[in-house]
Amino acid sequence: MSSVLVTGGTRGLGLAISKRLAASGYNVIVVGRKCSPDCEKWLAETENASFEAFDLADTKSIHEFSQRITRKYGRLYGLVNNAALGLDGVLATMHETDISKVLRVNVEAPILLTKYLLRPMLINRKGRVINISSIIGSTGFKGLAVYGATKAAMNGFTKSLSREVGKAGITVNSVAPGYMATDMTEGLEGEKLQSIKRRSPLGQLAHVDDVAGMVNYLMSDEAKMITGTVMTVDAGSTA
Amino acid sequence: MQVRSLILELFDEALEASDSKLECEKLEDETVLLNSGLDSLGFAILVARLEEELGFDPFVEMEEAVYPTTFGEFVAIYENRSSKD
Repeated sequence: MSSVLVTGGTRGLGLAISKRLAASGYNVIVVGRKCSPDCEKWLAETENASFEAFDLADTKSIHEFSQRITRKYGRLYGLVNNAALGLDGVLATMHETDISKVLRVNVEAPILLTKYLLRPMLINRKGRVINISSIIGSTGFKGLAVYGATKAAMNGFTKSLSREVGKAGITVNSVAPGYMATDMTEGLEGEKLQSIKRRSPLGQLAHVDDVAGMVNYLMSDEAKMITGTVMTVDAGSTA
Repeated sequence: MQVRSLILELFDEALEASDSKLECEKLEDETVLLNSGLDSLGFAILVARLEEELGFDPFVEMEEAVYPTTFGEFVAIYENRSSKD
């Protein structure tokens, strides 16, 4: 059974991704700062999924954490870099410590985690890296300058890394969700959300399960010829 | 197992894994790594396999970035780190 790791997998999109991958038969390692009640309930009834506590803001410990994962679960097949901070605020008044933290958790941490968890994939000559980006990385959104910068960074990371490791049988892709109803978008005012819905060709918001389906596809053998790309799942918002 | 012989063994494995061939007579201390036939991705595989076998990556533990140029330097880095265990 192939092992895959999902960061930020305890709630929202990450939990939907974890559930979808476990249903496909992968051995899923859910990583998060702490387990959520929803995730705990699901883990209790799922044999091929387990939780590992880790705070990605602690970048100094990522190497050691990666070693521990490899020792415990063997060589990883897939990595889903989903954990991210969705801090919003006007740039001119956003505190420097918050700017640093968003950059660290959304960019530096996934890059370091990929650096170390890519190694077992290189040895196996097969693997999958899936970076969860956002349409904000290319469209922009008021109050999300730093978040948007980190998502654009992940797309750039995807493209270069795919060229670097393709020869070793590893694909690297981004998935860019549109607006979804999760804890992260809770702050969006009702009217704003209604207008996003109205404007999308499909007249609604993409659901976390739609995005999880795309991740599941990219993880599969069917997607072996897809690398270095950004898959958008947004009910057509950016059409 | 001696660190040097382990490196030699895994070097061959990495050459094979990256579809490369040794481009010198044999690996000696003076061999410049860039001329050995192993490409950068092959080196990543070598470092990854050594970490699996030895349980450490000496480059990660260093305060400053170090990029050895010869095979001898590469081996010395692993031997020095190994002697601390």
